[in-house]
Amino acid sequence: MRLNRNCLFFILSFCYVKGVDKGNFKSCEQSSFCKRHRATRETPSAYIADLKSLSLHKERAFIDVINVEANIPLTLEIIALHNYAFRIKIQEKNGLRKRYQVENALVREPETAPIILLEKKDDHIVLGLDAVNRMVIQGNPFRLDLFNKDGHVITMNGRGMFKFEHYRTRKTLLGKAISKVAEVVGSSGSLTHRLASWIGNLLSSPEEIPMEHNPETDSQIEPLDAEEVQQTSEEPPAEVPVNNDAEETEPGMWEEDYKSHHDSKPYGPSSFGVDLSFPGSNHVYGIPEHADSLALRDTLNGDPYRLYNLDVFEYELWSPMALYGAIPFVMAKGKEGAVGVYWQNAAETWVDVRDVPGGGVVSSLMKLVSGGASEPGPHKEVHFISESGLMDVFFLLGPGPKDVLQQYTGLTGVTPLPQMFAIAYHQCRWNYNDQEDVQFVHENFDKEDMPLDVIWLDIEHTDNKKYFTWDPIKFSDSLGMMKNLSDKGRKLVTIVDPHIKRDSNYFIHKDCEANGFYIKDTNGKDFEGWCWPGSSSYPDFFNPAVREYWKEQYAFDKYHGTTKDVYIWNDMNEPSVFNGPEVTMHKDKLHHGGWEHRDVHNIYGMLVVDSTFQGLMARGENKLRPFILSRSFFAGSQRYGAIWTGDNGAEWGHLQVSIPMVLSLSIAGMAFTGGDVGGFFKNPETDLLIRWYQAGAYQPFFRAHAHEQTRRREPYLYDETTKDIIRQAIRQRYALLPYWYTLFYENEKTGIPPMRPLWLEYPKDSDTFALDDVYLLGDSLLVRPVTESKATSVKVYFPSDESAMTIWYDVETYETFTGRGYKSIEVDMYKIPVFQRGGSIIPKKLRPRRSSVLMQHDPYTLVVALDEEGKASGTLYIDDGESFDYREGKYVYGHLDYQRGKLSFRFLDAGRYSDASWVERIIVAGLRLKPHKIFAQIQGTKDHVELDFKYEAKMHILTIRKPKLPMNYEWHLQFY
Amino acid sequence: MYGIDGVDLGIDGIVMFCATLYDPSHDFTCLDGSEKIPFSYINDDYCDCKDGSDEPGTSACPNGMFFCRNIGYRSHYIPSSRVNDGICDCCDGSDEWATGTNCTNNCYELGASAREEAKEKHDIQQRGYQLKLQYSEQGKQSRKEKQEKFEILQRERSEIEAVKLEREALKEAAEIPEKEALEKHRAMEEEIRSQRQASEKQKRDEEALAAFEQLDSNQDGVLTSDEIMAKPIFDQNGDGLVSEEEAKFFLSGQTEMTREEFLNTGFVLMKPYLTHEEEVASPPPSSTVTPPAEGGELPEIPEGETDEEEEDFDHGEADHDDRTEDSEVLPVEETLPYDPETQKIVDEAKAARDAYNEADRRLREIERDLKNIEDSMKNDYGPEEEFSPLHGHCFEFTDREYTYKFCPFDYASQRPKHGGSETRLGQWGHWAGPENNKYSIMMLEKGVQCWNGPQRSCKVHFTCGVDNVIMSASEPNRCEYEMNFVTPTACAPPTGSPDDLLAHDEL
Repeated sequence: MRLNRNCLFFILSFCYVKGVDKGNFKSCEQSSFCKRHRATRETPSAYIADLKSLSLHKERAFIDVINVEANIPLTLEIIALHNYAFRIKIQEKNGLRKRYQVENALVREPETAPIILLEKKDDHIVLGLDAVNRMVIQGNPFRLDLFNKDGHVITMNGRGMFKFEHYRTRKTLLGKAISKVAEVVGSSGSLTHRLASWIGNLLSSPEEIPMEHNPETDSQIEPLDAEEVQQTSEEPPAEVPVNNDAEETEPGMWEEDYKSHHDSKPYGPSSFGVDLSFPGSNHVYGIPEHADSLALRDTLNGDPYRLYNLDVFEYELWSPMALYGAIPFVMAKGKEGAVGVYWQNAAETWVDVRDVPGGGVVSSLMKLVSGGASEPGPHKEVHFISESGLMDVFFLLGPGPKDVLQQYTGLTGVTPLPQMFAIAYHQCRWNYNDQEDVQFVHENFDKEDMPLDVIWLDIEHTDNKKYFTWDPIKFSDSLGMMKNLSDKGRKLVTIVDPHIKRDSNYFIHKDCEANGFYIKDTNGKDFEGWCWPGSSSYPDFFNPAVREYWKEQYAFDKYHGTTKDVYIWNDMNEPSVFNGPEVTMHKDKLHHGGWEHRDVHNIYGMLVVDSTFQGLMARGENKLRPFILSRSFFAGSQRYGAIWTGDNGAEWGHLQVSIPMVLSLSIAGMAFTGGDVGGFFKNPETDLLIRWYQAGAYQPFFRAHAHEQTRRREPYLYDETTKDIIRQAIRQRYALLPYWYTLFYENEKTGIPPMRPLWLEYPKDSDTFALDDVYLLGDSLLVRPVTESKATSVKVYFPSDESAMTIWYDVETYETFTGRGYKSIEVDMYKIPVFQRGGSIIPKKLRPRRSSVLMQHDPYTLVVALDEEGKASGTLYIDDGESFDYREGKYVYGHLDYQRGKLSFRFLDAGRYSDASWVERIIVAGLRLKPHKIFAQIQGTKDHVELDFKYEAKMHILTIRKPKLPMNYEWHLQFY
Repeated sequence: MYGIDGVDLGIDGIVMFCATLYDPSHDFTCLDGSEKIPFSYINDDYCDCKDGSDEPGTSACPNGMFFCRNIGYRSHYIPSSRVNDGICDCCDGSDEWATGTNCTNNCYELGASAREEAKEKHDIQQRGYQLKLQYSEQGKQSRKEKQEKFEILQRERSEIEAVKLEREALKEAAEIPEKEALEKHRAMEEEIRSQRQASEKQKRDEEALAAFEQLDSNQDGVLTSDEIMAKPIFDQNGDGLVSEEEAKFFLSGQTEMTREEFLNTGFVLMKPYLTHEEEVASPPPSSTVTPPAEGGELPEIPEGETDEEEEDFDHGEADHDDRTEDSEVLPVEETLPYDPETQKIVDEAKAARDAYNEADRRLREIERDLKNIEDSMKNDYGPEEEFSPLHGHCFEFTDREYTYKFCPFDYASQRPKHGGSETRLGQWGHWAGPENNKYSIMMLEKGVQCWNGPQRSCKVHFTCGVDNVIMSASEPNRCEYEMNFVTPTACAPPTGSPDDLLAHDEL
């Protein structure tokens, strides 16, 4: 959310509060279903699996699971998936209402695999993907255990926290009255029960209770007696549950108030939750987005981590509070391996994390099961709780962390290779005032010889916050402005938010209103909320017609004044509703297909971006790769582009938290992310701004942004020294673009993100498991940005392979650091501690240009950093930097390898691209002996060309001068 | 395709007079002396020298410079990073020698229009400078006048100070007999007043007694509620009956009332009802003294020549102090006229006072004038007093939303075009240009505080022009305004011909 002087009304209450106002956002205690689940008593579970009901099919199995207290039968569906994963779904066997099955998150219906019945006993069944990767289903109490090659890795419901609130009919108004009383009293369970019975005794007949009528709920919920319930449900449960009445008395089940907002809850409770423990794993990661450490912390003494997409003003650091996006995916890291759980649900979700001390949790049953686990030591447990929807869980069996990532991105997709400009430097501000201002800004970048690829326009560029329009005076000639940008190879990004101004002269509003495209109120009318433009409505992206409509709006003949060099920023898509509960949409508002907003909330933002993506594809006839930045996201959002960490602040803490936030997103599939450089709110001190540029230059998405009420802070405005330091930081980013680009290409192929926690590459080094101030780019660069004020040195953890002999080269000085552990590195204001791994080859382009597009044909410098055996290798990917032609084989993906005096470049596959770029310089660091001669041979020629070189004996650095090696041929160099 | 070795034209990308440093018959030493390299390494698209001096014609060195000859236009350097990047940066297109970018050589056109522009600029500068000289004359003249006026006023000040002292003595002397005479006069008045009050009280008591006798039906000297209730005149609510409650009201909450109590309290309550019935002949005497009318007229001060900035002065306060009369004055109708002797003494004192006040006022006027001149002389009107004539003038600029106003050496303001009040952006602070050009920026500070933000300020950039005009106004940072002000005062003395200006400009 961005602050506006005009937004006085609704947001004054939180506009000028220093920091987040926690009172505007729910705690678990204030969210009735979370509270109910947290209060679930521990073992034994109230649920049993009726193993006799097993129905086994080729790739799936069905088993009944019964709540013994309520006698409600549930169906457990187990699906075996290709690539070492199980999927389970749980829902009522005879549900009163269909549960929402998340769509759009999976890239496609996952490929299933044959399911093998390994064992069937009275008390358990073992189903396998193979003999090793298997699932044990225990009958009483109900519980699942999963095994992979490392043994027992996941337990579901080991602690008996499973609770599934079946859809039910509200039988009596008495219940309503009781819950009302209980709510008012706000009492503990026992008092509620006493009150309930007291009221029950007092009133002979429920119909006699004078009720305040709620038109919304009354229309839905007729007073029915038990018999009618049985008649209306398709297949009634065998017995009328005895304990149901007690359950009904829980507060907040049938309606819930938060501040001045009422949630009518016409369908009653529908939540579910379960504990998942990871024997052998002491670290869990994931479930972004939170401003917190990468390794998730025990939440026993506070709130659980919350997943509910919200527009949070000046968010709090090191907190489990919900932020703009939600990815319900966790990865658990064991001593060596890792497993993952993808909890596919788009409703409000809370996740408790617990450090479980050793012993006692996994029952002795496991020892009986073939290949069973021994008693687990201390490990991590998570407890997922979702408000509604289908219980749909994927168990990803690894066995390594990269395998888990591949399994997860195999399901939800990968970030397609961005255009080169998108991974270069972006300059944003709320707001660049007019077209002259835009011109002024990029001219000044040129004046200072600072590279810049993209200028951004925030909400003020529109005609009165009507998206897809321009302010007719300030941007009277957007095409002229675009030409000036395009001439320098630059792009523009304009903002398009999903709240639509209710202005009868606004074509989008007219269309949406006329076609019924808006999200509906409980009374069926278009929902009206308050956002930047004032009174606004929100297109319902769950309606395919709306998505199609939104897509069409990006066409050049519709979105006037745009060109192919204009890309899009979808902000406020949680959605942000200034006057809604927790600044978002009410849960009982209605979407296409009759779904409540409750069911779909966390996925709304992604659907906005999906439609935008389709629009950018369509407008350019699928030729150019789209670029979109979104604030809200869900599992699968990585398929559409970049996200940023929202409205941070100009504080050292925000700079520090940007690293764990981006790492957390990275290991949850979001490869292309970053935080606002400089901090959105407040004015950064110069040294903070410098350090932020240095850190941002080494994060995937590199954009400076600033709030409307902050001072201008474009880097050209500073003193000469500051300008120079920032210029160097941006240039370092540009020099490494070939490496970044290769990493993004590889991410598209493998799902492994460019920015990685150390443990992703060093999964056995347990000292790395909790590190999040240092990280890797690819597997070759170790980065530890300076994020502390006035630092003169930083402690850098150097990871190592098992030999403990990994060499790290300072990328500027080639000073080496060998072995595992912390070293103190001195830093001045210029210094960004970055180290290249011995054994790697990194491609760079060292000629500074005004924009990345202008570097397209520039020559490469290859930096070969030798390992202790004198070897090194790397990859390089090249294409046209913008189009989808690479998907038709127009690219070069090559392997660089050095060993025993031979450096070779070989194509890794059939991709071919005729590119004018060549190698101008090769630096070999760690070469112990000076070669006598070096010859180059380009494939297809017979010539052996002798090359010039220089050798610095003291530093063991060889520099080969101008080998003129073309990148569209294979070649090799031979050292003699 | 890379490298231009052997191109006849010589060494590309270097300015001619440097060409001698690049001698093909010798090895080349980097200009910073860091390295010696074969001459063939010059412009071979590989950076050998740390200072970039071996690659003046290519983009190989990150810190190099490329020389655009631009024959027909200005020659100048561009960063090496712009060589062969597909964008024509030199007007002769020489920077794109390898990319095949289709650059048209438009140096002659640019040169022509630049000369035209330079000529125009030169012309403006010349005319502007002439005006500036006039401004300067005016400014100096004005300073001289101010100095003279200052001296005159200083002399006047010492004169009037003496006069004031003298008149003060006279005033004080005249006020002593006046005080005595007035005291005597007031004593007389007091006596008359107390006599009158005594007779009024007597009259009222008589009246009350008469009423009591009449109400006290049984003549026992005590008024009871029965007696009250028997009198229909006390029927307050008009229900035709005098209730016990109503009676109680008149008896101050009691059931009976003595004569004495009646005189003190009862009569006051009942009197309106009694008169109602009986139409008491004589009007009630006014029992309270009307407060004295405030002040009367302020002594008239002849309004002399008042200078600008009138509003900043508040005469009122000082003038109130001049009022020496005792504020306890009798109501007008009861004022006892002064006897002729007293009148004479009072008149004399007033005349002395007026004379003194006149001197005092004059002194303050002079002091104010002196301060204004002093302040104005403290302003930095430039080394040649050229900015002085701008003081006292205001200039306006209107954009889409606001009208901006700039009054040099005074203030800047902004007011919404479509109504709304004016906001001060700042008051004259100081010259804030760079050291070598201090008078190029005027800083106006301490404007109105922004809501939830800093105090507004305004930076005005002065550039040379023939007229005094604000060319633009903006708010590049929140609450930090900038204006561009074109004025002859910023015109430097023109040097030589327009062509010199052209050459001088970019190099």
